[in-house]
Amino acid sequence: MTTLELDGVTKTFGAPDAGGVVAVDDVSLTVDDGEFLVLLGPSGCGKTTTLRMIGGLETPTEGVISFDGTEVNEVKARNRDVAMVFQNFALYPHMNVSQNLGFGLRRENEDRSSEEIIDRIEAVAEMLEIEGLLDNTPAALSGGQKQRVALGRAIIREPRLFLFDEPLANLDASLRKTMRTEIDELQSEVGITSVYVTHNQEEAMSIGDKIAVMNDGRLQQLGTPSEVFNEPSNQFVAQFVGSPDMNLYEGTLTENGDVYRVNVGITEFDLPSGLVQAGDDVLDVVVGFRPQDLFQSRTRQTGGPKIEADLRVVEPLGTEAILYGETEGRAIRATDTQFHDLDEDQSVTLSIAPEHIYLFDANTEELLKGRLMTEREDTGVGEVEVRDGAGAEVRDG
Amino acid sequence: MAADTTDPAEEFGSNRSWLYDTTPGFYLRKVLIWGTTLGLSTFILFPLYWMVVTAFKTTSEIQQIPPTVVPETPSLEGFRLVVESSLAAGGFDSFLGWDISSAIDIDVLLLIANSLKVAVGAGLIALVFGTIAAYVLSQQEFRGKNAIMSLLLASLMFPGTAIMVPEWELISTLNLFNSHLALILIYGAMTAPFVVWLMKGFFDDFPDSILDAARMDQCTPYESFRYVIAPMAVNSLIASFIFAFLLAWNELVFALTLLNQSKFTVPPGLLTFVQGFNTQWNVVAAASILVSLPVLAGLAYIQRYFVQGLTGGAIKG
Ligand SMILES: Nc1ncnc2c1ncn2[C@@H]1O[C@H](COP(=O)(O)OP(=O)(O)O)[C@@H](O)[C@H]1O
Ligand SMILES: [Mg+2]
Repeated sequence: MTTLELDGVTKTFGAPDAGGVVAVDDVSLTVDDGEFLVLLGPSGCGKTTTLRMIGGLETPTEGVISFDGTEVNEVKARNRDVAMVFQNFALYPHMNVSQNLGFGLRRENEDRSSEEIIDRIEAVAEMLEIEGLLDNTPAALSGGQKQRVALGRAIIREPRLFLFDEPLANLDASLRKTMRTEIDELQSEVGITSVYVTHNQEEAMSIGDKIAVMNDGRLQQLGTPSEVFNEPSNQFVAQFVGSPDMNLYEGTLTENGDVYRVNVGITEFDLPSGLVQAGDDVLDVVVGFRPQDLFQSRTRQTGGPKIEADLRVVEPLGTEAILYGETEGRAIRATDTQFHDLDEDQSVTLSIAPEHIYLFDANTEELLKGRLMTEREDTGVGEVEVRDGAGAEVRDG
Repeated sequence: MAADTTDPAEEFGSNRSWLYDTTPGFYLRKVLIWGTTLGLSTFILFPLYWMVVTAFKTTSEIQQIPPTVVPETPSLEGFRLVVESSLAAGGFDSFLGWDISSAIDIDVLLLIANSLKVAVGAGLIALVFGTIAAYVLSQQEFRGKNAIMSLLLASLMFPGTAIMVPEWELISTLNLFNSHLALILIYGAMTAPFVVWLMKGFFDDFPDSILDAARMDQCTPYESFRYVIAPMAVNSLIASFIFAFLLAWNELVFALTLLNQSKFTVPPGLLTFVQGFNTQWNVVAAASILVSLPVLAGLAYIQRYFVQGLTGGAIKG
């Protein structure tokens, strides 16, 4: 129904020369009709400001926002037909649930019949399973219930766009997981173009069709969850996406006949030249290992570099554990399912498949080589695809 | 035996004096608490009690020494005189065909009407100007803002009568002597600072996201005000209004000095009944009760809004 486009959108608060803040800096992106875009980034990076500009609550300093090709910069929020779910729910405290839901419908069209409004309130309440709460005031609701009402208030109008500003941040962890599935299902059901803001990369991965990673007001990358995970455009994205954090080591890349020689201090290895395109003879690089890609040599042969590490802490998370180790004075993190017989302070040999190694240019922090699929995991990446139940087995290999 | 506890709250609890640990201590505590409560209540409630019993006494019983604590011959004489003479003054006696020949000249209805006029006027002035000022002080940043807030607070601590002379000059310059407008302006100005403080608290706490939500729900600025801000502000506005209203209702000194007897409000009006040795105290007491009733009834009705407004209970959703 609606394609959203941002072209060079910039927002500056205050005068730029007098200590003003550039909250959003030259962001361009397109969200296709019915698509679910997640704006992901650390707090303060301009996600909310971007969302508010889309909703019409802020005016861009520069650039163009358009719906279906029509510029809406000057269109007031109330005329954009956009619905927004706020982090703190922002329910009207003096209205009961039913009035909260119906308020927008009434404002949209004063002549709408009360029967129609009541019908739609009931339909939405049923969809969200809050039929029993219609007469309660927001003060009497739990966090999860408030969240449902806030969602209901957004979907009842069947707007052109849904905007979500960290809608789950105020809920506890278990509720967050169920609600995020519900939002995902709800959005697919109604098929309305959506922009969803979060600083939680796991949430972004699981809910988004596309992810726009932002930092410092700038768009870092726009891509599908697996693109963002496997081919992060730069070091920032690589570090921000994925948990635990990626291991990063500075090193050098030297052309050596058919192969590239990589030396990162803690280990040294060759990469086939087919895997990486690099011009210079010697290049300062940053090498990245995802903890999920590091395996103990005894459990799995990766055919890649080996790293001796002294274990410091083993943090069990149920089926797997995070292994915190140290190698040549550098910290290293790995995850593994074979951890029950491990002692803290013992040493382990970790290794990683060459395809899984990330390389970044140390000067520009841009990606030189991303993570490629190996034959053994043609179903995709563990972290990203866990929802489909395929990636989980990969690690047990 | 003793639990090995490190919880500071429990340690504090276990470290109590004999006042808490022994039976005599328990009773002493009760006695002290009840004694203090009783003393304070007597101090506050006795004058009210005395007013009520005086209203039901006859003139001769009032002059009895020692005074009686409970009326021996309860009488409605005081009330009768107040009502009759008020009706007479209002011209209702001929209308009702009553023959009233009261020695005193009281028009309670007129006093109440005058007071209502002044108190409502002052309340509205304080509300309108105080709310607008509070909104600006809450939403805008400008130099001297804190100074203004402090000044307003200081003016609340300042007794109004201290500026009697300049006020007198002002009213005289404005040519407003013996007019209710003069009182409305003075009372409004005296209470507006309180309204500013109360309403600024309201606006400071008002969540921006609720206004954003209203905008996303397609409200025009007017609709946001009409359907969202105003209903949420109602309690605070009522609390502000009551405060201003009560001050105007009770104020004596300005009313006494700026008005002639014909325009008196309730407080100076009641004072005119006090006429040295001839004072009919039962009439004064009865009149006091009668003029308090409408305000008491009104307050009882909106008391809950008052408390909610003062504590900001309206906003915490
Ligand atoms: N109304 C405002 N006035 C001034 N600065 C603002 C305003 N809103 C946001 N900012 C600034 O813009 C930057 C981005 O904020 P925001 O969009 O809220 O980030 P995020 O939602 O990603 O946490 C922050 O530095 C913030 O301080
Ligand atoms: Mg934000």
